[in-house]
Amino acid sequence: MLLPTLLRAAVIAAFAYALVALVVLTARVLSYGRRPTYARPQGLARQGVAYAFFRGMLPWEKESVAGHLPTYAAGLLYHAGVFLSLLFLFLLVFRLQSGILLNQILRVSIPIGFAAGFGLLIKRLTSRKMKLISAPDDILANVIVDLFLATAYAATISAAFEPAFFVTAVVLFLYMPLGKIRHCVFFFYTRFVFGVFFGRRGVLPHPRRES
Amino acid sequence: MVDDDKQQHVPEAKRLTEADIAAAVEALRSKIDHRLAAYLNSCIRCGLCAESCHYYIATGNPEVQPALKVKLLQSVYRWHLTVTGKSLSSLTGAHRLDEAMVQRWIDCLFGSCTMCGRCTLNCTVGLDIPRLVRAGRSALVSLNLVPSELQSTVDTAVDTGNNMGITREEWLETARWIEEELQQEVGDPEARLPIDREDVRFLYTVNPREIKFFPLSLLATAKILHASGESWTFSSDYYDVTNYGLFSGDDSAAALISRRLHETMKRLRAGTLVLGECGHGYNANRWEAPEWLVITPEHGTRSIVQIIAGFLRQGRIKLDPARNPKRVTLHDPCNLVRLGGVIEDQRFILHRAVADFVEMYPNRERNFCCGGGGGQLSMTTYSKRRLEAGKVKAEQIARTGAKVVVTPCHNCIDQLSELNKEYKLGVEVRTLSEVVADALVPGTETSP
Repeated sequence: MLLPTLLRAAVIAAFAYALVALVVLTARVLSYGRRPTYARPQGLARQGVAYAFFRGMLPWEKESVAGHLPTYAAGLLYHAGVFLSLLFLFLLVFRLQSGILLNQILRVSIPIGFAAGFGLLIKRLTSRKMKLISAPDDILANVIVDLFLATAYAATISAAFEPAFFVTAVVLFLYMPLGKIRHCVFFFYTRFVFGVFFGRRGVLPHPRRES
Repeated sequence: MVDDDKQQHVPEAKRLTEADIAAAVEALRSKIDHRLAAYLNSCIRCGLCAESCHYYIATGNPEVQPALKVKLLQSVYRWHLTVTGKSLSSLTGAHRLDEAMVQRWIDCLFGSCTMCGRCTLNCTVGLDIPRLVRAGRSALVSLNLVPSELQSTVDTAVDTGNNMGITREEWLETARWIEEELQQEVGDPEARLPIDREDVRFLYTVNPREIKFFPLSLLATAKILHASGESWTFSSDYYDVTNYGLFSGDDSAAALISRRLHETMKRLRAGTLVLGECGHGYNANRWEAPEWLVITPEHGTRSIVQIIAGFLRQGRIKLDPARNPKRVTLHDPCNLVRLGGVIEDQRFILHRAVADFVEMYPNRERNFCCGGGGGQLSMTTYSKRRLEAGKVKAEQIARTGAKVVVTPCHNCIDQLSELNKEYKLGVEVRTLSEVVADALVPGTETSP
């Protein structure tokens, strides 16, 4: 009985550490300072932000995505798997019931997420283009998240795998602020800044009128 | 391609002292605000940006992909400017700014990027990669390692007031000649090319290449302004719409060049700074100059493209598209369109000025760079790469079947003219004003 309790406590502690470290990282980024903008806007920043988070994420809005639909789909499924695994972790740590329907969703979506993540790892390891831009962090982060998904799936099948799931969760949270997984915070910030930039300049959202 | 010409083309990086490195890191740090810091923490290195870059598409060389440029900047940022950078360098790829890294920066940031921003639009996260590239270029400014031809263009503008070193006398003589031509063409001996006129609505700025090599393009704009009955003037001293400080990364030079136009506006008490057909001139003067000068200008700043569209909407000029019967396509300059927000006015004009207008695909903010931006045209060191990267644009043009390519940017005109020869496109490359001037129906002018 002691080990599961200790592991639960370790997960909570690691999560708290990740949270604090990400807040510190964000504070560090903000400490570089905001520079006021002096040029008069031509468009609306808020419309650009709305575009950045909604329409701008759709595959037909980005040529890079339209040309790489399998990668785009893999990315979406991978992230869906991660978020569902985190939800599952939350339920287990706080001993909440997940319900039959949610269990079924977890058992289907988490292995799909794992397969997607593993596929992206293979792509990174085999493509010359990807190898050139990759650092060890890119591989390690992917491996850690893949293990997190694999153990999450195993834990949906049998409670015997819960300790392994908790251990990989601890590793994930400890690693989160050190490498690229920090994009879980900065993605949203950068996307916001992207929207403000193109919104103010009246470039986006731009009605598609290709005559 | 890049590997082949690296040896002969990349400028020699000097021996770097610790003081040099410290200065370059400080220059980089001074460019980083909350946005750039977020970008440097956001790249997930998915590699999806590669296929949006004309350099990569044309060559297939992964050394030129945008994500690699971000990685090179990120590695130095992590090493020098983050707490864990050095200790986790083997994990995150953090790297000291040393001579080898500087050499790679020069090659990647100056040698294979036009700062066109197409990668930004296609980035999964939305990183402003041109801004990151410019921050890296700024660090190289502090090391005096800007490629010499680009630096010389900036220096000439700083020293003489325009990027081609045209003397005041030469400019005034050309202006007088254009004025005589204008009088003959419009049949009005009172037609003027006003210089230093005060209390006018517009101060019109030009690309010095027009004065030196393409005076007929200036004549075309003068005809349009004359036909509109607008009150406007040139300046005898500071009239250069270009600002290569945008591309070299030198903020102080960029600010000095911008300030001169700003002060000329005040001196002449002009209402609107009208920017001649120049993509980066628009971005620099409309969007970046207020940031460099730390002021919100009292005057308006508009492109001549917007002004001509306004004349048409107000009925102050009339055009006969039958006078331009050939099929015409439009190249969108990145700095005017994707980074500037002037997107539809040029189309509005062309639909009224030519009989057969066809778009190239993709277009507007998604258009491909011609390959001449980012200072590439002035850096002859990288000419071979520039022309090779321009293949994407050449193919876009060829697919339209157009006989005329119009673009409101003299930088693009130069690159497109070279592509025309290189890829045997058999097209005419013209400014928007030239096409509009040819379609002008005389005697329609009204008072403003």
